[in-house]
Amino acid sequence: MASKYVSLQNLKFTLNRVHQAHEMSHYEYFKDYDEDAINMMIDAAKQFSDTYLFPFYEDMDRNEPELEDGVVKVHHSVKPLLEAMAEGGYIGAGAPAEYGGMQMPSALSVALGFIMSAANNGAMGFSGLTAGAANLILTFAKEEYKEKYIPNMFAGKWQGTMVLTEPQAGSSLSDITTTAKPIGDGKYRLTGQKIFISGGDYDAVENIIHLVLARVEGAPKGTKGISLFIVPKYRIEENGDFTFNDVTPAGIYHKLGQKGTPAMHLMFGENDDCEGYLVGEENKGLSYMFQLMNEARILVGLGGCAIASAAYYASLEYANERPQGRRLNDKDPDQPQTLIVNHPDVKRMLLLQKSIVEGGFSLVAECAKYWDYTRVLEGEEKEKYELLLEILTPVVKTYPSEMGIVSVSNGLQVLGGSGFCKDFPLENYYRDIRIYPLYEGTTGIQSMDLLGRKVTMKQGKAVKYLFAEVNKDIEAAKTYPELSKYVKILEEKLQVLQSVTMKLIGIAMKGNIELFLSDANLYMEFFGTIAVAWQWLKQATTAKQILLTENPQGEDLKFYESKIHTMKFFFAYEVPKTLGLAQRLMDDEVLTIATEREVAV
Amino acid sequence: MKILVCISHVPDTTTKIKFEGNGDTLDKSGVTFVINPYCEYGLSRAIGFREEGKNVSITALSVGGPEVEPTLRKALAIGADDAVRISAHPNDSALVARQIYNYVEGKEFSVIFTGKESIDFNGSMVPGMLAEYLGWSFVSFATHMEMTGEESAVLHREVDGGYEVVEARLPIVVSCQKGISEWRIPNMRGIMAARKKPLAVVSPSEEVADTLSTIKFDYPPAKEACTYIEPDNAARLVDELVSKGLI
Repeated sequence: MASKYVSLQNLKFTLNRVHQAHEMSHYEYFKDYDEDAINMMIDAAKQFSDTYLFPFYEDMDRNEPELEDGVVKVHHSVKPLLEAMAEGGYIGAGAPAEYGGMQMPSALSVALGFIMSAANNGAMGFSGLTAGAANLILTFAKEEYKEKYIPNMFAGKWQGTMVLTEPQAGSSLSDITTTAKPIGDGKYRLTGQKIFISGGDYDAVENIIHLVLARVEGAPKGTKGISLFIVPKYRIEENGDFTFNDVTPAGIYHKLGQKGTPAMHLMFGENDDCEGYLVGEENKGLSYMFQLMNEARILVGLGGCAIASAAYYASLEYANERPQGRRLNDKDPDQPQTLIVNHPDVKRMLLLQKSIVEGGFSLVAECAKYWDYTRVLEGEEKEKYELLLEILTPVVKTYPSEMGIVSVSNGLQVLGGSGFCKDFPLENYYRDIRIYPLYEGTTGIQSMDLLGRKVTMKQGKAVKYLFAEVNKDIEAAKTYPELSKYVKILEEKLQVLQSVTMKLIGIAMKGNIELFLSDANLYMEFFGTIAVAWQWLKQATTAKQILLTENPQGEDLKFYESKIHTMKFFFAYEVPKTLGLAQRLMDDEVLTIATEREVAV
Repeated sequence: MKILVCISHVPDTTTKIKFEGNGDTLDKSGVTFVINPYCEYGLSRAIGFREEGKNVSITALSVGGPEVEPTLRKALAIGADDAVRISAHPNDSALVARQIYNYVEGKEFSVIFTGKESIDFNGSMVPGMLAEYLGWSFVSFATHMEMTGEESAVLHREVDGGYEVVEARLPIVVSCQKGISEWRIPNMRGIMAARKKPLAVVSPSEEVADTLSTIKFDYPPAKEACTYIEPDNAARLVDELVSKGLI
């Protein structure tokens, strides 16, 4: 097992120096979170992860949960983990103080989440889902439900879940059929079945609090007839006793990765005795759920680069220990073998991993800071950050997920045949990360959301705000001549992005939506690469400033020089790939749209 | 009961040690500093007394410059009630012990916990010197400690092949090692609370002189590369052993 899975120096640099996360302490709501607090919490999260998460990563994969006699048994480490998460204050950290939270800025909570997910990504699902579900109850449910459910959820005793997907309705939520029949007193009787419910049932918690999308009898068809319900596994009676609420595990999925977290097939109301409690108003459930979904999408992106981080450090460790062959200019067999890190192709793979991990996390931190601004600002400023978050959410979900797979795959490649074997963790990371482009809306859905909704929303206002942010950082980079080459490249790419976007919007304006969105996935790849190039220029600018003004020495000097070198790598190796994407996106030839004359695929 | 926990500020155990200057100074760039793990056992045991219902106040103390304050804040986050930094350079065990002694005098502490040694210099001298200056009981290498009333405690200390059980009168200096308690991870609320707990900076005592200066640090000799000798080449094996003076 590799020993390192994350760089705290990189997290602190990204948060404190690049994104100035401590600026949030200027706002009353976040006033306690200055740089010292941020650093202490990052250190504590690492110590926590070293104790409760990382040591169990491999064993949780090897001993996956089983459904036996109606009970899902999870790994023995899950219960102490949840207790420690609660004791540590992690589950409710982001919630308002009045509900037992700590009002932690998202910019910090993503850093803590990054450490924990890198240590054991599957195990983090338990508390992450509970935090998200609790947040949804806090935001939209009535006070009675907050008092009833939140304390035990934050205490790690009750699990929270997101219950959306049905066998016939996955990406297309408008087709869900789970029904809710009013029975008075704000209660409903639910019937239906749901699939792929992470943490949907298991034995390490006392209760499971499902947040279920269902359709009230007689509700309009489509997304406008979907409501959101709290559906506990056990109803809580007046005297605190539990009554089984007719939520039954029908099966457990055996997955490619993240095997420690049970994904369940659940039956609701098989005996017509499943009570649900309406969250907010009828027929507004999907908009409520999308709050949770948007948060979850940022966290999916976070998880993608966190796994890629663990894989990067595992492959880096191997490359620095494994001698094999000789330098390409030195074929003398009497000379000792060189470490594989000295081979250009291996170094290229390691730099690719580093550029994806650190570039991806920087984009996550950027979004998290926007998220924080939306919590403390009002009026036009608030709208600005909401729109920035809207346009970047599908990107920050997708880039680290898709490119995280590429990153981990390259990490596995560094190990050669050993990477394919269970003696090293790369195969585990490779299996685990594959779910990320599927979670919380597939890459296809995210891409259509970006191009079809976000780019055009409010007459392109979100795009304008984003370009203004990028241009602000470009201006800062112009201070340093060493960065001018990369400033020019990014400026050119922004121009190309504008041209491609205008061309595609022209298709939409003619009414051919299918053609408009047919290559949305490629548009996403293009957009995401430029977004991460922006983050790399931003990091390099900060590193350059530190090198010139703070005279770092030793390991610190290497760290900052490596930042600039990796930025150069990203611009040299990844950014040029947008040329091909732009060429395809500007091409009018149609090859993927179904026509009356069927073409075999 | 007032407990003082002495905290050494040391490089994290995973740090790759490098020296700068003439080899007489640690290169601190990129180095994460932590509470000395053996001191942390003492802190954790002190908190344990509180959890057992004893009325204790816990002061964490470190000798050093402002750079040790984050380490003291961590001790506060874990559960110390207040902290003290004696503003002196801690490069001499005698100096450190004398500075702590000067601070402790007249403050009615019942127990002083230290680590059995600090993991940077491994001197293991401060607790013994401190106990001698104070004229207190001293139990070293403690792996267990229970109070047996207001005036005494029973402790276990590790000895070859087992452990020794001793009873000691308070006040007492205890140097701690693994077994006396489990390390604790600061929780988020503890970290926030720590920021509001008092951290006093105390000037060093004037009369304490620095009696030690470091000439040079050096690394252990590097391991020699492995030499492979073919199974049928005993002559070469003999030559190698002779050349190294081993036979």
